[in-house]
Amino acid sequence: MKLTRRDVIKAQAAATAATVAGISLPASASNIITSSKANKLTWSKAPCRFCGTGCGISVATKDGKVVATHGDEKAPVNKGLSCVKGYFLSKIMYGKDRLTTPMLRKKNGQYDKEGEFTPVSWDEAFDIMEVKFKKALKEKGPTGIGMFGSGQWTVQEGYAAVKLMKAGFLSNNIDPNARHCMASAVGGFMRTFGIDEPMGCYDDMEAADAFVLWGSNMAEMHPILWTRIADRRLSNPHVKVAVLSTYEHRSFDLADIPAIFTPQTDMVLLNAIANYIIESGSVNQDFINKHVNFREGVTDIGYGLRPTHELQKKAKNPNSGKSTPIDFDAFAKFVKTYTFEYAEKMSGVPARTIEKIAKLYADPKTKVMSLWTMGANQHTRGVWTNNLLYNIHLLTGKISQPGNSPFSLTGQPSACGTAREVGTFSHRLPADMVVKNPKHRALSEKIWKLPKGILNPKPGAHAVKQVRDLKDSKINAYWIQVNNNLQAGPNVNEEILPAYRNPDNFIVTSDAYPTVTAEASDLILPSAMWVEKEGVFGNAERRTQSWYQLVNAPGDARSDMWQIVEFSKRFTTDEVWPAEVLAANPEYKGKSLYEVLYKNGNVDKFPLSQISPDYENQESKEHGFYIQKGLFEEYATFGRGKAHDLAPYETYHSERGLRWPVVDGKETKWRFKEGSDPYVEKGKGFQFYGKKDGKAIIFALPYEAPPEVPDEEFDMWLCTGRVLEHWHTGSMTQRVPELFKAVPDALCYLHPEDAKKRGLRRGDAVKVQSRRGEIITRVETRGRNKPPVGLIFVPFFDARQLINKVTLDATDPLSKQTDFKKCAVRIEKV
Amino acid sequence: MKNTLLNKVSTVCMTAALAVSSIVLPSVASAADAVIDAEPQVASMRGTAPLNAELTPNPMEKVENNDLKRQRDYPQQPPTIPHDISKYQLDKNFNKCMDCHSRKLADEAQAPAVSVTHYMNRDGEFLGEMSPRRYFCTQCHVHQLESKPMVENEFVDVDELIKQSNQRAKK
Amino acid sequence: MNKIINLLKLGWAILSKPAVHLSLGFLTISGFIAGVIFWGGFNTAMELTNTEEFCTSCHEMRDNPFMELQTTIHYSNRSGVRAICSDCHVPHNWTDKIARKMQASKEVWGKIFGTIDTREKFENHRLQLAQNEWTRLKANDSLECRNCHQFDSMDFTRQSKRAAAQHSSALAKGEKTCIDCHKGIAHKLPNMEGVREGTSPH
Repeated sequence: MKLTRRDVIKAQAAATAATVAGISLPASASNIITSSKANKLTWSKAPCRFCGTGCGISVATKDGKVVATHGDEKAPVNKGLSCVKGYFLSKIMYGKDRLTTPMLRKKNGQYDKEGEFTPVSWDEAFDIMEVKFKKALKEKGPTGIGMFGSGQWTVQEGYAAVKLMKAGFLSNNIDPNARHCMASAVGGFMRTFGIDEPMGCYDDMEAADAFVLWGSNMAEMHPILWTRIADRRLSNPHVKVAVLSTYEHRSFDLADIPAIFTPQTDMVLLNAIANYIIESGSVNQDFINKHVNFREGVTDIGYGLRPTHELQKKAKNPNSGKSTPIDFDAFAKFVKTYTFEYAEKMSGVPARTIEKIAKLYADPKTKVMSLWTMGANQHTRGVWTNNLLYNIHLLTGKISQPGNSPFSLTGQPSACGTAREVGTFSHRLPADMVVKNPKHRALSEKIWKLPKGILNPKPGAHAVKQVRDLKDSKINAYWIQVNNNLQAGPNVNEEILPAYRNPDNFIVTSDAYPTVTAEASDLILPSAMWVEKEGVFGNAERRTQSWYQLVNAPGDARSDMWQIVEFSKRFTTDEVWPAEVLAANPEYKGKSLYEVLYKNGNVDKFPLSQISPDYENQESKEHGFYIQKGLFEEYATFGRGKAHDLAPYETYHSERGLRWPVVDGKETKWRFKEGSDPYVEKGKGFQFYGKKDGKAIIFALPYEAPPEVPDEEFDMWLCTGRVLEHWHTGSMTQRVPELFKAVPDALCYLHPEDAKKRGLRRGDAVKVQSRRGEIITRVETRGRNKPPVGLIFVPFFDARQLINKVTLDATDPLSKQTDFKKCAVRIEKV
Repeated sequence: MKNTLLNKVSTVCMTAALAVSSIVLPSVASAADAVIDAEPQVASMRGTAPLNAELTPNPMEKVENNDLKRQRDYPQQPPTIPHDISKYQLDKNFNKCMDCHSRKLADEAQAPAVSVTHYMNRDGEFLGEMSPRRYFCTQCHVHQLESKPMVENEFVDVDELIKQSNQRAKK
Repeated sequence: MNKIINLLKLGWAILSKPAVHLSLGFLTISGFIAGVIFWGGFNTAMELTNTEEFCTSCHEMRDNPFMELQTTIHYSNRSGVRAICSDCHVPHNWTDKIARKMQASKEVWGKIFGTIDTREKFENHRLQLAQNEWTRLKANDSLECRNCHQFDSMDFTRQSKRAAAQHSSALAKGEKTCIDCHKGIAHKLPNMEGVREGTSPH
């Protein structure tokens, strides 16, 4: 019986395969033996191209092609595992519609905003860019241009871009898409600790007794970290996993304590836990006496909407991050109203469930790791929520030790390494420095070998502001690299699409594939991607990882770094720097930006002879010096000796990454703790050295309601996000057939009762409408996400269903990060 | 091509249809710009829908459920799942996949037992049973719907490169 | 429950009155009629306890097994034929049904003492509750499954290859019964350690 059935299947399979290939079975199928030389593959290491986990990938190449990819057994992050996207990395570069030549909108042979995309040479592309950027600079000054980059830039690309914009054009109008992703986390770190990025690391996952997810679906978004937590939980019965979210998702499959809360009430739950810690006598008094200050934050701070918006006008202290010192008793009094009963009423989470979670924190014997990503960051009180998360770890002293770890997970592969550390945010400089601070500017000017006082002290436009400025014709020349903001940014209909198509504006998009953002722009530049160039990424646990160029990019596609550096050759200091600065520093006169920024004695310091003989490096060869090393080493100068130490560049080519600060060749696993962090002074125990007095801050901050809540007209919450199989907007993963066929279309995940109420069935086409726009999608009542009554989830990877036409561009007023997790919508049968 | 009468007509229809809709479109976008009203020129993943319009999405496709093994792109690729798993329980209590694919039950189900790598822990040691870090199968293994990919992929199988390499060696 | 008690009270009230003025013939005939009414009433009451409304009138059933049922094929499927609780959990023939209903008195105790009145308690009892049903179905050769899924009416050519293979061998020979393979088809399974090797973490 079995044999017959198997035989049938085998025969069918062979026949199917043969039909697909359109041939009878080839003889080579049985001819396995081949010459050993032909059979040889070259295996190299590279960090994964996708999320912030930063898995190590083994990449096989042969004859200039990537032929296989899998999890690197030697990589400490993933030890041989990879998620399904990572396994299919080998196919992301080979979509048939790869961009291989610059394309410019033209009519009758001339650039025209409404023309058709026409292939042009790099020279012609840079010609028109030069004209448009110069025009904008001349008419409006440094604020007339803008650049929108990415946490997917390599460290060197981000650094080259910061230099071009901030040091070259003297414009701080550069921001990364990490603004939509990690800005609230940055705000939280800076406010509580005075220094960015997690104190702990992934090793905490093998040490913790309890994991609490605060707005993170790690099972889908950080699958490999989830394997580490699953390993810990399923191998150790005493370990508990609590999952908090506004809807049920795959991470609930491992949850011992599941909790669904009403959107925005995570803040109530966090304060209730702080209150329980205090009332149950579980405060680590010694720790807070020595290492903590208390402050009360200013409230009613608005929603980061346009100043003309009603809600913004109503706010008493719009955008204020001010706070005043208080003591422990005042803090205790502040959180006293946050009882479990009140928290249950507000959040819908049963009091006994909240108590169970609170006990994980309160019990001194339970080592607890809190994990969060976009649920806490994409939040109109995202910075506050991050602060509140640190509160409960600081009250109990559960921080900076193996297993005791508040851990902010990262979305993008180099949101930490590039967007944050390099300083691509509109208010930042490298190594956590800011443009506002004269000392920071002076130090940057010194390292960059710039005339004194030249850097622009005024923070530039952040992501959402850039779009508003484009729409209002305040920014007229704009360059987008490694992101797809027309699909990923908020309120596409009212803001981003009109901004990009504003006739006053010239929009340039650098990408590997024709995205909707490319479609909405005026010039498309073809980019090399991932292992088509040499680069460095930095992951969520401060691990810096490098890779070599393994294959060549197709056609005329070039790396983003090459594009930035080449473009700098088009400008002279005379054109973009103030005359008085040049008069005072005549040695800079008449120089090209290329010369002052990249041929400055630092970036061009390392000769081609230092390039690995085993790998190609087209860019360096073209520039005549080892540019990736030069940029990295100049950048590393900022952090060395300042608790951001990076190892020498070469080290990263041999190591599977190192966690900074790297001091005396040793990486740092737990910061701020004596013994594990070399920057902590002897005898201190803990030292939060980001703050002058070495003390972290516990903030008294209340719950404040979200800007838009469901009402009679728009009666449901909308939450958007990712799916396991696709990376962000799907521009890479949707072009891998296996990943496409796994999840081809976005769906509207809906509670069966909500469907019934509206006469909807699974599979029905529905309009999802908000006050801003609408999309058509299909109803899913049985899928992987199970929202509660009153909430829908629609992912944003699908270019045919631009859910961000519906979302609201409200941001956290402090971090300026958009809240993609809540706005009011209604659904209607089509 | 974009200037054909047919295209203009469809653009007008689309614009008209949108005007009827309850959503007010941004004035800058709809009034001044032919580009966003037109069928996408390069955005392959949009199909024929202009940036400011919405297509009715494809019907929800069925899962390929024929139990036929598929070719892998390279030996390290996790095989895709050739059957429907939509009703499978996969939580901390029970793993439906292992109901057929575990070493002890594979004979009964005649399903391929999980490979030896699934027994390795983080340190590369073989455990007696499947490693808990591999417990959630769907992190690497995915089903396939009957949908047709929108863009072809030109990944070259290593066999093809070896063949070319051998041919070059012969010459 | 109240309805049943009222019915029983009414029956007892009629029975406990002595006959004084009535003929034997009348008594016999009316006794017969009363019997029919009682019988019908009893069965109606029984049927009432078989409805989905009755089964899900307590939160223990509504929030746990019923919630889980709603995502399965036994609740929603292409043809719209669906099962309610009693289709699977209450035998259809009378004697077995009464036996099951008497067993159900234990469940009334459970309700009164709150044995599974939280999700956590339900989870703790999940294995035991499931095992009760598996044992019952194993003993009666999956009778409640077979009330709808008749072996003789199965078209193996319309089944997946694996299903056809199993149904035409183990099931056909009587080596296995439906519940042996089809556990957890309408509700989530408990930890299956010791029940099904290799499918659950320890």
